Amino acid sequence: MNCATCGSASAACGNCPIAPALALPETLATLAVGARATVHRLASASGADLRKLLALGVLPGVELEVERRWPAVVVRMGFATVALDAGLAEGVVVTREQ
Amino acid sequence: MSLATGASAVGVLAAPSGPVAPGIGVDRWLLAGAPNVGKSALFGRLTGLYVTVSNYPGTSVEVTTGTRATGGAAILVADTPGLYALLAVTEEERVARHAIFSARGAAVLHVVDASHLDRALPLTLQLLALSTPLVLVCNHLDEARRRGVAPDIALLSERLGIPVVGTVATTGEGVEALAGAARLAPVPSDGWGLPQPFAAGVAAVTDEGGAARLEAELALCGDAELAASVAQRDPHRWRDAVAARDARWGSAEDFAVALATARRRMTLALLDGVVPEAPAVRRRDAALDRVLLSPWTGLPLVALVLYVGFYLFVGRFAAGTLVDWIERVAFDRWITPAASAAVGAVVPWAPLRALLVGEYGLFSLGVRYAVAIVLPIVGAFFLVFALLEDSGYLPRLALLLDRGLKRLGLSGRAVIPLVLGFGCNTMATLVTRTLETRRERLIVTLLLALAIPCSAQLGVVLGILSIYPAAIAVWAGVLVAVFVVVGRMAALVLPGEPPSFYLELPPLRTPTARNVLQKTGARVQWYFAEILPLFLLASVILWLGDLTGALRAATRLLEPVMRFIHLPDAAAPAFLYGFFRRDFGAAGLYDLARHGVLGPAALTTAAVTLTLFVPCVAQFLVMRKERGIRTAAAVLAFATVVAFTVGGAVGWLLRHVGGWV
Repeated sequence: MNCATCGSASAACGNCPIAPALALPETLATLAVGARATVHRLASASGADLRKLLALGVLPGVELEVERRWPAVVVRMGFATVALDAGLAEGVVVTREQ
Repeated sequence: MSLATGASAVGVLAAPSGPVAPGIGVDRWLLAGAPNVGKSALFGRLTGLYVTVSNYPGTSVEVTTGTRATGGAAILVADTPGLYALLAVTEEERVARHAIFSARGAAVLHVVDASHLDRALPLTLQLLALSTPLVLVCNHLDEARRRGVAPDIALLSERLGIPVVGTVATTGEGVEALAGAARLAPVPSDGWGLPQPFAAGVAAVTDEGGAARLEAELALCGDAELAASVAQRDPHRWRDAVAARDARWGSAEDFAVALATARRRMTLALLDGVVPEAPAVRRRDAALDRVLLSPWTGLPLVALVLYVGFYLFVGRFAAGTLVDWIERVAFDRWITPAASAAVGAVVPWAPLRALLVGEYGLFSLGVRYAVAIVLPIVGAFFLVFALLEDSGYLPRLALLLDRGLKRLGLSGRAVIPLVLGFGCNTMATLVTRTLETRRERLIVTLLLALAIPCSAQLGVVLGILSIYPAAIAVWAGVLVAVFVVVGRMAALVLPGEPPSFYLELPPLRTPTARNVLQKTGARVQWYFAEILPLFLLASVILWLGDLTGALRAATRLLEPVMRFIHLPDAAAPAFLYGFFRRDFGAAGLYDLARHGVLGPAALTTAAVTLTLFVPCVAQFLVMRKERGIRTAAAVLAFATVVAFTVGGAVGWLLRHVGGWV
């Protein structure tokens, strides 16, 4: 999976130098391992994808921490740990905790 | 995996006519909740029946019912597949939802993980609307205590207005208290109803309460199935309600997110003071997960687990040592001679004697194969599978293999039915319900029917080929190639969206011997209830065929096919048996190999062809039930063509290129 903006492998998005300048909305797919963030809104492409996020409990206002980015995005929310692939993670717009 | 025994498993708790007699209390209970919170273990504790508990989201695919006999009148208890939310994604979630919506009059026991109340209570708030007795069960209370987040049960009960019970299903703690609470549970008042403006949105669809109100809410949230049924009831009203929703929220999706967010806020307010502030500690198994999930260490570990668990334990020990002993010592030396002598002394008529202890006899073929060959192998497989399930390793496996499976049009979730297929393809075909799209279910069904050998077959094939290690490599290589090529082709040809992967990772837990053994026992029991009748039926058909000469005629018909794939005519009966059971066929080969009729090339060809060849009768019946007769027939035809084409090619290559024979 490559970044839609710069074309390089999205595995490197965690430390992307241009994203802050472009003020692109940050998503779960672009967060680096160890980053903490709050879900800001859900922008999934399809209703089916959205239902999966709701099933996992990924909702606006939820705080999470990224544990892994490969082979899928693994996030910790409270005492629960959930895994979702890059496609689903792209639909989760987040606000990173500074 | 819980498998219901009756056809009417779903909706079995639908209310009988008339009110519940006073003084008796609620005598029908329905366990509901997210996957992996301990529903099945509680079910076992409540009924004394232990069906299955797994540390894998989504291995219970049907509603299981049992009775609780203690304390006066019998109580009917039902266990439903796990569901994260009423807005269903998969088939099993729809099964669970249907059971919950038909539960009026029964007590719904909402089982939740005591450490994740914030995730679970939105569903409790919805269940309050059902107008049926409701009990909240905070399970895994021991884990919550250890983490310092054990909830204030009494306060939670007061806030929700329903009985709340803390339990530890694995030790039985709190189970009696739960039984008492469930029996006396009243119909709650819905004190946490829908917040405005959502309530007005739903009221635009229906004036009714209970399940109808929840259906209206889910229909507005974009559930296609419920939207269709709600629209059918009153098309005009539904159209107006949809217009009102879209005017205010934009779309079904936006409505769903806004409502879920509002419910979450309600939940947090409700839990304020109930749950202590969670101390920020690192996950206990985070370090272990790094090892399990990193590709550098995780993938070699997968190979190691498969090698030790399945190849060494199931393949070498169970299928080799154990089968050998039971067959050659227990049966050949003691049981069969004794049975023959006994039957010979009692039964004077030769054909009847043959039916019992002859070459295709009920006892000598049916029972002997079932007990001596199939039981040790299948039992060993289910034991390993139960260990993997209860430890929480399976979801990690799904995560690791997700990227590879995406190339075959599948998601990581498909790992579960595919691995289970190595145990029993029939059971695995049922478990495809845990997959999200029809496309995924179809691809997995096809791969199971074609390229995944079941444990009985696997054990026998490995047993036969173990004389020639190179033959095992060829056989395995061909199967992997067929699996990948057919999966890839199916992914390219079949229409539909590519799947996406999402899964909750349960904590890694140490499996308890009690759970593992009981689960293995329950699966072996299911397996035998399903297949022993077919074994016996096959024996009767073969005996009849032998008696009338039809068997010889059918065998002769198959001989040209045998020559086509370069096999001796003597292999024909093995293929004929394969129609009845895949492992029957393999077991037939086993006999030929023991008598030295087949050389390495022929044996490899036969093993490849038989493995790819048609699924057994039971698997075909389940395929028909789950996918429809047309799909099942198409899979059958496809498997036959692929089996003989690939078999023929392998036979030709081994003869002309391999330099074997």
